[in-house]
Parts: sequence; C-alpha cells; structure tokens
Amino acid sequence: MFVPSVTHPIGDFVRDLVPRVAEFLPTSLQSETLNSISAFLINAIICVVAVCAVNIGSAPILIYMERKVCAHIQCRLGPMRLGWHGTIQTVADVIKMLFKEVYAPSGADKLMFYLAPLIVLIAPFIVCALIPFGRNLVVADVSMGIPLIIAVNGFGVLGILLGGWSSNNKYSLLGALRSGAQMISYEISFAMILLFVVMISGSTNLMSITLGQEGTIFDWWIFKIPVLGIIAFILFFISSTAEMNRAPFDIAEAEQELTGGYHTEYNGTPFAMFYLAEYIALVTNSALATTCFLGGFLPPCIGIAFVDNYLNMVPGVVWFFAKVYFMIWCYMMVRWTFVRPRVDQLMDFEWKFLLPVNLVLLVAGAAYIAIGG
Amino acid sequence: MFPNLSIPGLQMPDLPFAFPMGGMDLAFYAVAIVMLITAVFTVAVKNILQSAVFLIFSFVATAILYMLLHAEFIALAQVMVYVGGVVIFVVFTILLTSRLGEDAFTTKIPRVFAAFALSIAFVFVMVKCILPTPEIASGTVSAATDYSSLENISLRLLGYDVSGFIIPFEVVSVLLLMTLICAITVARRSKDEMEPNPKEVK
Repeated sequence: MFVPSVTHPIGDFVRDLVPRVAEFLPTSLQSETLNSISAFLINAIICVVAVCAVNIGSAPILIYMERKVCAHIQCRLGPMRLGWHGTIQTVADVIKMLFKEVYAPSGADKLMFYLAPLIVLIAPFIVCALIPFGRNLVVADVSMGIPLIIAVNGFGVLGILLGGWSSNNKYSLLGALRSGAQMISYEISFAMILLFVVMISGSTNLMSITLGQEGTIFDWWIFKIPVLGIIAFILFFISSTAEMNRAPFDIAEAEQELTGGYHTEYNGTPFAMFYLAEYIALVTNSALATTCFLGGFLPPCIGIAFVDNYLNMVPGVVWFFAKVYFMIWCYMMVRWTFVRPRVDQLMDFEWKFLLPVNLVLLVAGAAYIAIGG
Repeated sequence: MFPNLSIPGLQMPDLPFAFPMGGMDLAFYAVAIVMLITAVFTVAVKNILQSAVFLIFSFVATAILYMLLHAEFIALAQVMVYVGGVVIFVVFTILLTSRLGEDAFTTKIPRVFAAFALSIAFVFVMVKCILPTPEIASGTVSAATDYSSLENISLRLLGYDVSGFIIPFEVVSVLLLMTLICAITVARRSKDEMEPNPKEVK
C-alpha cells in the first residue's frame, strides 16, 4: 500500500517511534502497513497543529500589537488596565467574541452567509503551509510554491464577495464589490512582483528561493540586484497592503462611508473568522516578503567572521520571526500614517502606475540577468 | 491485511478493474465522490450564486484529481483560471441580475428531456469506449517522474526545435494582446464624449 513519506528529521523520528510503541499492542494489531499508516497520520496531525498554532496563536499578539502601535502613534497609551500593560485585554476580547450569539440577518442566504468566513480562511492557511520557517521547518516543500500562492489567493476575493452579498445589506454589498474590484486589480501586480522574484532566483520553490540568498546581508534579493531589488520590495509592500485590504487601501471597510463594509452584518465567531483571516494574511504576507526579499530564516551576516559566528548561533526560526514582526510593524506604521485614497484614485494608481512600473521592472530584471547575472 | 472472505464454489464475475487497494485509489474515489456531489448540486440548486460556489468546489476537486495524476501545473492552472473566472462571474451576476436569490429557474420539459437524452448518450459512449481497454486496470505509469514539472513544461513550450511549441505560444500571446487592446478601445471614451475640463469651462 502506498503511503507518502518525505525525509525529514521530525518525520523520521515519528516513523522510528511508532513501531517501538506498537510492540506493546496485541499481536493482531501489529503490521508493517498499519505502522506506516499511523506514522503518516501522526505526521499529518503534527503539520496541521503547527500551521494552526502559528496562525491562530499570532492573532491575539497582533491585535495587542496593533492597538499599542496605533496608540503610541496617536500619543496615547492603549490598553493599560488588564494585566501588565494591558496584556490580558486581548484574551478578554477573544473570549467575549467567541461567547456571543451567532445569528444571521433576516432574508440572508444562510448557506452562503456561513460559508463565506470559511472560504476566506482557505488562502492564508494554505500559504502558511508553504512558507519555510527554518532549514527543516516547512510543512509542504512543493516545487511550485509561488504559482500555488497566486492560485489560492483568488479564494479571498470569493469569500469577501459572498459574505457581502449574502448579508442582505446594501452597505455590505457595496463594500464587497469595492473590495472585489480592488483585490482583483492588485492581484495582478502582486503576481508580477512574485514573478520578478522567480525570475531572479530561478526557482518557484520557496525553500530554494531562500537558500539562494545564502551569504551576507548583501546577498539578499533586496540588495543583490542593485536598484531593482529595493524598487521591487517597495512595490511588493504596496501591492500586498492593497491585497490584504489594509489601510490606507481599506476602501472595502471604510467605516466612515460604509459602516464596516462586507462584515457589517457578521457577529460572534463568523466575524472573528473574518478578523482572523485578515491578521493571518498579515502574517503570511510579511513571511512572503521575508522569504522573497529579506533572506527568510538566514541570519543577517555582515561578512566579518567574528560577528557572523555569533549571528549563526541563533536558530533560523528566531531570525525568521524577528524579520516577520519587523515587516508587520512596518505595515502597522503605514496603516496609521497615511490617509485613505478615493476609489477612483486607488484604481488609477494600480492600472496607470503600478502595473506599467511592474512591467518595466520585469524587463529590466531580464536585462540585468542577461547582461550582468 | 484483510481476512480471506472467499467462499468456495461461489465465483464472482470477473470485473475489468481491480479492487481499490492503495492510498492513491482511495484518494481517487474520495475526490471523485466529492466532485460528483458538488457537480450535481451545481445544476440542482435554485440560486445562481450558490451554484457558482458549488461549481468552484467541483473545479477544485478536478484540480486534486490532476494532482493525483502528477500533473501539478495543470492542477494549479485549473485553480488559477477557474476560481478567478468564477469570481468575475459572481461579480457580474451581482451587478447585472435583478431580484437575485428569489427567482428559481424553470425550464420547459423538452429541454429537460433533451438534456437527459444527451447525458445518457454521453455515458453510453464513454462506457463503450473505456471498458474494452484492458490496460486501464493493469497499466503502469510510463512517463518520466517529473515529466509535467513546471521546468519541463516551460522548456517544451518555449523550445524552438522540432518538439517545441514556440510558434503557437507566440501566436496565442499576440492574440491575447489584441483582445486586450480591443477591450481598451471599446471601453475608452471618445473625445467628444469626454467631460469638459473644469479649467476650460471657466
């Protein structure tokens, strides 16, 4: 019987351990096939738990961080009462949200109303499974990582559209249609930047994209290609902000105009799921930026052997999360600094500026590879 | 693994396919059942948006089938093209359909009859063509391991030797460029339709 197995330290450990534990079972339950199947299932459960832990565990941290960053930008203190510097505030909020009653507005399409939050969560979870957190820490090391990311991003738009339509509310529908138009447009330049990364690194596998940046800090893709790397990084930053529907590109929610956009009618757990999807998208997009431009889990070596030895001692996961949280901090600073553009300005920016610049960047990158690389 | 259940004297008629006994086979049947159920729901559900969503899940199941056949690129293209395409379809249904969600489709009986006749004929032809082929049950994979990887597909697609497809590829890209330019030309406002510039009015 065919049971898939990939060589990996944790997976090999489980595959070694299972036959030893199985010796204590009655003889009728001992067989090679059963052992390999149960080892496979245990490995699969480990992978699922790891993805869920990174995703769901980071959401409360991000909510707390967003409140604090927002407060300090506006010269406030933020949550201070519950726990040390308000650390328990997020837990209280999460518990409050989970214990609320869940109901749909009258006249809503119930099936679509409850399906939409589930569909929104598909893309962030799949993308998170592809990202290498360390040399051996990647759930799915597939050869076509970047095309898969581009492919599953379509589910986010679908979930938001369905949620907005099925709420039976004009504000929700307007927000959903705005967000549909915005995300479909910005997805193009998002994919173009990823294509640029694929072109310069010569691979669509996220692990080999990361390992291609091995060396000093100047071997990271953001610095390796003289000016183009920094331009590509800034363009990625802009288009991923729009892709996530975060401010300043949050015309889909626009509290002042649309009273909250596509999730106006949601409450309790479904609303928490929309919220969760937004924050996981923040983590996965920051992780993607880290992997593609900032060297992933590689330490920022500077070429001096004495310093590099100490930097290499820190495990890759720590570097990875340090870079990811730095990126998240950048996204949050942008959110609370810039003002929201109008719908037509947003569309003009994408189609008349971002997309042509991306095309020129692709051609320039190809020229750089043909001549210099 | 399973106890022997055969009864002496009772001989089952020999089926032209082997009993599913592997991870791949079980995965195939699981995915196929999901695909069939969602496909039936796509045509049975009365609401046009719900049927679009079921169509997406059916397409995703098809993509998983491609994945089981080791055709990863086709699977990804399936998800990319159809999920994106159906999303656009959803946008247009919301924008263009009035009283969405209330109306149920009613089709006249001859059309239902024609649909049934067509699908039964299709099933008959498929069974007639597939069943006599003995290799389907016992066949093994003959292609190279990474025959359908992205690298091999793109090298083949852009190759300019005898086995390459560079000319059709370029023709298709020029065609797509033409459609793009045509769409912009149609959507563009002509000069006399333009709103007057506020500066000129003043």
